[in-house]
Amino acid sequence: MIEVKNLVKKYGDHIAVDHLNFTVEKGQILGFLGPNGAGKSTTMNMLTGYISMTEGSVTINGFDIYEEPEEAKKSIGYLPELPPVYPDMTVREYLKFVMDIKKVQRGRREAMMEDIMTRTQIREVADRLIRHLSKGYRQRVGLAQAIVGYPEVIILDEPTVGLDPMQIIEIRDLIKDLAKKHTVIISSHILSEISEVCDTVMIINKGKLVVMDSVENLPKHLEHTMSLKLVVKGEEGRVRGALASVKSLEKLTVKPGEKEGFLSVFVGTKDKADVREEVFYALAAARCPIFEMTSDSMSLEDIFLEMTKDDENVLPLSGSEDTAPEAVPSHENPQAQENACGEGGMTDAAGEEE
Amino acid sequence: MFAIYKKEMRAYFTSIVGYLFLGFFLALIGMFFYASNLYSGNPNFGNALSWVMMFFILLVPMVTMRIMAEENRQKTDQLLYTSPLSVTKIILGKYFSVISMFGIVMLITCVYPVILSKYGTVNMKSSYACILAFFLMGAAYMAIGLFISALTESQAFAAIMTFVVVIVSVFAAQVAELMPTTAKMAWLVFSVLILIFAGISYVIMHNVTVSVAFGVLAELALFVLYRAKPDALDGAVVKVFSWFSIGDRFGNFIYGEFDVAAIVYFISYCVLFVFLTVQAVKKRRWS
Repeated sequence: MIEVKNLVKKYGDHIAVDHLNFTVEKGQILGFLGPNGAGKSTTMNMLTGYISMTEGSVTINGFDIYEEPEEAKKSIGYLPELPPVYPDMTVREYLKFVMDIKKVQRGRREAMMEDIMTRTQIREVADRLIRHLSKGYRQRVGLAQAIVGYPEVIILDEPTVGLDPMQIIEIRDLIKDLAKKHTVIISSHILSEISEVCDTVMIINKGKLVVMDSVENLPKHLEHTMSLKLVVKGEEGRVRGALASVKSLEKLTVKPGEKEGFLSVFVGTKDKADVREEVFYALAAARCPIFEMTSDSMSLEDIFLEMTKDDENVLPLSGSEDTAPEAVPSHENPQAQENACGEGGMTDAAGEEE
Repeated sequence: MFAIYKKEMRAYFTSIVGYLFLGFFLALIGMFFYASNLYSGNPNFGNALSWVMMFFILLVPMVTMRIMAEENRQKTDQLLYTSPLSVTKIILGKYFSVISMFGIVMLITCVYPVILSKYGTVNMKSSYACILAFFLMGAAYMAIGLFISALTESQAFAAIMTFVVVIVSVFAAQVAELMPTTAKMAWLVFSVLILIFAGISYVIMHNVTVSVAFGVLAELALFVLYRAKPDALDGAVVKVFSWFSIGDRFGNFIYGEFDVAAIVYFISYCVLFVFLTVQAVKKRRWS
């Protein structure tokens, strides 16, 4: 359905998209995941023929977007980062205009209009000027526009930005519904969204493909799939010494805890090995009592952060000197980091990837 | 193409711009019709139009400034350029809407020679030839306005640039006549022009190498020409300026002559700038 080969986009010396290769099959829902500035929007703009590629090719439904743009674009519905709406039109006028430029047959228009307005729940604002609509409604009008003509491929760039939680759920349901008949690509930096809606995830960072696989298979791409978070009373040297004896330990970070005399310790293991028992006995033998131990297999959030973070943050299991306190594995506090990421996305999204 | 055209026409009439343009334009034509035809008892309608010509300076930016710039700013260009319409069709739809606005004015204007004929003998043929030439001249200016609007996201910038270009073009012939005709002066004027063009090409293409290369090569060529054959530059400024003077071409029509060359000139201007607009849009997206 969609075939992307060696896609490159350069702005001067800056490489926004760096040799992307992937294919999307009919009926698939692909999630584009990546931090802000990763090249998500740039890639989507190239897929839809809005901007050119520096190198490579995009084939939609058998038509090359560069060679036969008119044919290729017939099978695409696109919602860009900012909904491309005309403020001085009413919703109905706007959708009629979109039907005009997408050359929808006259006979189908009435029914299509009703169906689309019902599905995106914009019927109650149909005759209002878009200028007077809230961000959430504009977003839905933008979504409605993408569905006009029921194109085979629907590409949505951060479709839920600016919506309230209730609307987000509705839009997700709508996307799931669309996926029954269409091929859908959505981009997001919000992981829960991708994991809930998509069957395949593509993580990109700095324009490069990091991994592309089904949601269930993602954890396999990680070295550390289980991590423990501990609060231990004792000295750093003793704790490190004790834990050094534990087998299949891959990663270890120790830093001062919140209270005097306590340490907060992170342990990453390989191959999902359960080391809780060993850790317990090792620390008990060293007379370093454990006050808290939380284990979690990596959530999608952690995987995302792990895969897109800068390489210098990855810590090898080592002695004491080269473990600086700030070099904590980023899955320490996924929630906080994800929130930060999300806020950045709302404000900077427009500028960052242009 | 028709969808875009319809949308643009509606945009003119749902905002104040369309009415302002029509009202202002018709008022001006009416005023000069009264002043130079009715009041002074002159049967030549071309005279009235030659006065109105000055006001292209204001009227052209008024209709063309938003035509592309607004789409760029609102990001609605993403909708248009990802739809199954070719860039050429989108631009043509827009251009036809602008000249339709002007066409409405000119259709209403067609009544004036008829009114005038009530008071004496009017050369209908030459009057309508004037109206046709005036329409084509306006269309040429509007093509330039369209092109400038496509280069920017800012309506204000588009308006000012169009204003400047139209002013230069309207008064080009007069300005050129004031210039000294010596070869040295011509050399100076052309050097400045080359620098301006290099500057504009940088704004359009954002490519330092090309702009600098163009500037340096052109300046060198000019210098060589000036050194080797200074006679060639004698009076060249006047010649070059009058090539670009759209307004100058209207003169013959006023004297009742049907200047086919001028008609071809106007139409080539329209075609050239519509073509340049299409290229500029493609370039913007392909850069």
